[in-house]
Amino acid sequence: MENIGGVALPQGYQPPPAAEGVAPPKVERLNPVVQQQLNLESVKTRALGLYKAISRILEDFDAFARTNSTPKWQDALGQFSMVSMELFNIVEDIKNVSKAFVVHPRNVNAENATILPVMLSSKLLPEMEAEDNTKREQLLYGISGLPVHMQIEKLKARIDMIGAACEAAEKVISDCRKAYGLGSRQGPTLVPTLDKVQAAKIQEQENLLRAAVNYGEGLRIPADQRQLPTSLPSHLVDVLPFGDGAQNLGDNSGTYVKNNPPFSSNSVNTQGVLQTPGGQLIGRSVPSPSNAAFDNASTPPMAYANSPRSSTNIANTPSPQQQVQQQQQRQKIMQLPQHQQPLLVQQQLRQSSNAGVLGQGSISQLHDITGQTQQKFQQITGQHQMPYSQPMLQQQFQNRQLQAAHMPHNIAQNQINQGSQLRSHLNQFSGAANSALFNAAQTSPNSQMITNMSASMQSQLPRMQFGLTGGHPQRNLQSQMLNDQMFGMGGSNPASMVANLQQQQGGFGNIPTNTQNLQPGMVNLPNPTQNPNFPQQRQQNQQ
Amino acid sequence: MECVVQGIIETQHVEALQILLQGLCGAPKERIRVHELCLKSGPNLGVVPSEVRLLCDLAQPTPSWTVRHVGGSMRGAGAEQISVLVRTVVESKVGNNALRFFYALGYKLDHELLKIGFAFRFQKGAPITITVTSANKMPRLHATDEAVPVTPGIQLVEITAPAAADNYNDVASAVSSFCEYLAPLLHLSKPGVSTGIVPTAAAAAASLLSNSGGKTI
Repeated sequence: MENIGGVALPQGYQPPPAAEGVAPPKVERLNPVVQQQLNLESVKTRALGLYKAISRILEDFDAFARTNSTPKWQDALGQFSMVSMELFNIVEDIKNVSKAFVVHPRNVNAENATILPVMLSSKLLPEMEAEDNTKREQLLYGISGLPVHMQIEKLKARIDMIGAACEAAEKVISDCRKAYGLGSRQGPTLVPTLDKVQAAKIQEQENLLRAAVNYGEGLRIPADQRQLPTSLPSHLVDVLPFGDGAQNLGDNSGTYVKNNPPFSSNSVNTQGVLQTPGGQLIGRSVPSPSNAAFDNASTPPMAYANSPRSSTNIANTPSPQQQVQQQQQRQKIMQLPQHQQPLLVQQQLRQSSNAGVLGQGSISQLHDITGQTQQKFQQITGQHQMPYSQPMLQQQFQNRQLQAAHMPHNIAQNQINQGSQLRSHLNQFSGAANSALFNAAQTSPNSQMITNMSASMQSQLPRMQFGLTGGHPQRNLQSQMLNDQMFGMGGSNPASMVANLQQQQGGFGNIPTNTQNLQPGMVNLPNPTQNPNFPQQRQQNQQ
Repeated sequence: MECVVQGIIETQHVEALQILLQGLCGAPKERIRVHELCLKSGPNLGVVPSEVRLLCDLAQPTPSWTVRHVGGSMRGAGAEQISVLVRTVVESKVGNNALRFFYALGYKLDHELLKIGFAFRFQKGAPITITVTSANKMPRLHATDEAVPVTPGIQLVEITAPAAADNYNDVASAVSSFCEYLAPLLHLSKPGVSTGIVPTAAAAAASLLSNSGGKTI
């Protein structure tokens, strides 16, 4: 109940004139003006009045609590506001005077109410007072009887003497320092200068360090020394791609599934991402087109003149010689071990380029080329071929025929026609292979044809005729076929086709490059959804 | 975005710096052992090669990976007046298959670095991180156990603070004022600008070490 309002008692709340008036030592009193302003008596009266009011209110509440009756809140709040107003006024009055005091308490409550007067008292503590007195006596030992001004003068003289003695001592010390060569006292504070050689070394080291951290200078290991150590640190053990070293591995792209074990690229694909040995549709033999067993819904109509199903219906049937040649080439390829195939393929391609025909053998070679090339060049994007191609195998069957139509390197109509004839040969390969070939065949100079080729090949030969521009009347057949295809890339990607055009002119010697070049061109194939094979094709195009 | 300054300090004074930072920041130091792999993009990802840094924190029992891309720094007259470097930075925690992922994208390892040291965090106007590390290079690929310092006698001090486009000025001034605290021991400057060592470093270090009574923290 006490001190509820936290009333700040003024400093001299209980003026001690009565207590200290009798003490002989002089008591420091408040400035009388301040004292008057403070008006301690009135503050005391007001504080007491406030205290009474608060206690009255509390009694009322107590009565309410006991009688369990609800108090009239209006009245209670009114009383409370009156009390708080009064308190506020008291505190304000004191605040006006508190500037005279250096320190005044912020809050007074039960804890510090008793000790505050002591803390606020400016009177010295008894010990301090005694000490003060002894010191004073020592000082004024001989002169305490003299009048004050004499005392002052004597003290001044003493101070001067001490000062003179200090100066003399300083002088002596500095003379001795010089005499003994100790240097001036300011030595340690001098800024130490660096030796120039040392500074240069440090500068060089600094440059090394900054360059290393910011730009990696001096940290690059030459490529020939970049082999993964046999024992990797623990945090890298399961992080790095297995097998092939620290560099990015774009492998496993060309590993399209083939019936023929020699072609199987599964063994080459260390990534193992796409080629699951014995897994999905690997080595499945696709029904030949001649079987007319197209699983895909979009069975190309037989009405097309160059329907792949009837290879004999191709307008420009390849010469038997070429066919044989191609077959031979293919057989050769198939018999070769895998790693030799690229070479052979290239050779064969060159041969066929010489012959101006990109026959079956070329196409099959292209299959291999794309696959092998991808493996060789570790192109990452090629990876995507397989997963899509495999499920699409059935669908790709149709595409294969169309793929055959996409002669990669040879523009000649013969090639295209032969390609269609080759489809029957190509049936042995998985759809992925066909897709690969298809992509490889993208470097047709006929931009439209390229786009059409790259498009999914649900219709076969008809597609090839799509978009053949003037000047290549021979190709019209194929372009028309391509046109029939919904895929209809024709003319949609002039840029890519131009690129393909340019690349194609490299000739067969650049089979790998051509293959690679195909990819940028292939990537741009639009034609989203019409052909279910399209996504696959697109993937394949991104070799 | 971040504001960053770098400085160098001789290895012999690193302990004194640690004491000073401990006093300034209050919190104990955090150990740093980071394997930094700097990857550069291949030609299939654009004409200009981009750089990505993968940081593997080896200080914890389980290594954690962070990917960090440092963008271009602010340029212009305004940027020159600021004493810190303000640059765009994108950082994120990633799983440990990030390296494989970047390799699959076509990034190649350009260089790698092992940073060993400690770091302090300080909050005043901005969350400031001070790292003192020695840069170590690995003689063989990924051989973190065989790392040797690039410059044995000098370590790198880096002060960074994240910033946004609207408050980078305040962050920059906070970083600058923090750098004043370290003035007796080292000078800090924008990365790429060399500072040299501070002549008073030895004296300051000596006083720091003596004051603390050589107490290791």
